[in-house]
Amino acid sequence: METNNVNGQDQVQDTTKSPSGASIFWREITRDKMALISLIFLVLITAFVYGISLFLNKEEIVRVDLFSIHQAPSEEFWLGTDYGGRDVFGQLIIGTRNSLSIGILVTLMTGIIGIVYGLVSGYFGGQVDNMMMRILDFFLILPFLMVVIAFVAIVPTYSVWTFSLIMTAFLWMGIARLIRSKVLQEKELDYAQASKTLGSSNFKIMFLQVLPNVTSLIVVTMTLNLAANIGLESGLSFLGFGFPESTPSLGTLLSYATNPQTLEYRWWIWVPAAVLILLLMLAVRNVGEALKRAADARQRRG
Amino acid sequence: MGFLDVEDLKVYFPIKGGLFNRTLGNVKAVDGVSFSIEEGKTYGLVGESGSGKTTTGRAIIGLNDITAGKVSFEGKDLTSKKSKTSAVRKDIQMIFQDPYSSLNPRKRVLDIVAEPLRNYEKLSKQAEKQRVGELLEMVGLSPESILKYPHEFSGGQRQRIGVARTIALKPKLIIADEPVSALDVSVQAQVLNFMQDIQKELNLTYLFISHDLGVVKHMCDDIGIMYKGRYVEQGTKQDIFENPQHIYTKRLVAAIPDIDPKNREAQKQFREEVQREYEHSYNDYFDNDGLAYGLQSVSDTHLVALPEKG
Repeated sequence: METNNVNGQDQVQDTTKSPSGASIFWREITRDKMALISLIFLVLITAFVYGISLFLNKEEIVRVDLFSIHQAPSEEFWLGTDYGGRDVFGQLIIGTRNSLSIGILVTLMTGIIGIVYGLVSGYFGGQVDNMMMRILDFFLILPFLMVVIAFVAIVPTYSVWTFSLIMTAFLWMGIARLIRSKVLQEKELDYAQASKTLGSSNFKIMFLQVLPNVTSLIVVTMTLNLAANIGLESGLSFLGFGFPESTPSLGTLLSYATNPQTLEYRWWIWVPAAVLILLLMLAVRNVGEALKRAADARQRRG
Repeated sequence: MGFLDVEDLKVYFPIKGGLFNRTLGNVKAVDGVSFSIEEGKTYGLVGESGSGKTTTGRAIIGLNDITAGKVSFEGKDLTSKKSKTSAVRKDIQMIFQDPYSSLNPRKRVLDIVAEPLRNYEKLSKQAEKQRVGELLEMVGLSPESILKYPHEFSGGQRQRIGVARTIALKPKLIIADEPVSALDVSVQAQVLNFMQDIQKELNLTYLFISHDLGVVKHMCDDIGIMYKGRYVEQGTKQDIFENPQHIYTKRLVAAIPDIDPKNREAQKQFREEVQREYEHSYNDYFDNDGLAYGLQSVSDTHLVALPEKG
């Protein structure tokens, strides 16, 4: 009898430590080799570009040096130079940092706005929902590219923050609509109704009951958005509506390839940036998939 | 003033459509229902799908808006907007039909059962955990399961977690909305007997919503039969099962399966007889819209929906 009791005690103690979200994610990611490699790659590249760029002198890198135009990779310039004689390697580091910063910032800001907007709209429904969705529609029909072009012309100092803000203003609608449609379903389920009968406030039901049930959707959308936002920033810069050449990003480097001479003979200017964009987007996606499984108990591998 | 009084309760759902989303009409889910429950008793609400029995229960607890009528609990009016948040709600709780959707799949059992406690009683973490453990023990689950997720339990266990959450605040009235219809028969008995046990233990009053007459017969003291949002018959268990007056009730009672194969022929004949009577006298029991008439009293406890004499 006594040994049984002792065992029972032990079991209780064992189970009191519940797996935290982070440990579940860690278990999930070690089960998936691709995701693990992607995560390591992402962490390394992020640490590397943010770390190295602390020691790099941005002014020096973006200063035009007419004596070293279009140099092939050498010991002095690891990845050669562009048409202004600027070091491509340095630009790549700072460019990756800028692109990542914008991607992360925009994803976080659109995520927060979208989640709150979608939750409120979907949860209260009816007239509130109707009104909020019409406001959203208004933002949706604004021509994104045109506004960004106008913004480029108006704003004198173009920084990571201002660029992120303008992108956020036009990119939060997608996630808001997605969350809203899911919340419309979720709030009708018995558990949300039960919460109401148990005396929980609307705020509590929204953020503590319904929100955890849409996390997998949020995580997947946000990771895909992160990849998309990095791509979008690069695209805008490539078209010339993003950062100027004095603020390098992966997109500005890529845009050098619009020159056929550069495209054909000077691969070192644009190939590293292109490969980096591809790898970053792939890695983010892989990690997102692992996160998605970790967020949903039924999809977990271990 | 009784324990729970429902007077002429009406719940209409608007049909929207046409230009500018006008209200074109109403679905009369509950159309003038009155009954009262005594403390400590079990009141059964029976009817076919769509007869409005669930809507009645949900309207009482405040999940559906009441179009007209009055619901009062221990003399306190529940229909006013203000009472939606008041402490009266604490005394009325609900057991939901589907144990698979009524528990939040992302929450641990501890969080699920502790939710009402966190809303009404400020307990320390340790005290809260202990209370949850006690509640789980009460419903026959091991306290070790507090850190599991709902999907790790069977249907019957999940329903008992739901019951543990319901009784956490020591409510006086529990609205049980088909609490066992999603469970298989062996587990049904288990949950029902358990519900009767805690009823005695905590002096609970049940409003038991079901379409299963066998279950209702087992559980309830008084029974109301609903059809298309109206009452067709109301009375004690004896009134309904031994002396059904309305043809709809007669058909329901005739439909209860008899497990003795010797009675099979007699049962079949009895059913056919009731069916003939139903076809023959349909117009005596239902008005031109196919709805039940107002209730007439047959005896002190027994009310039947019959056309007014004369």
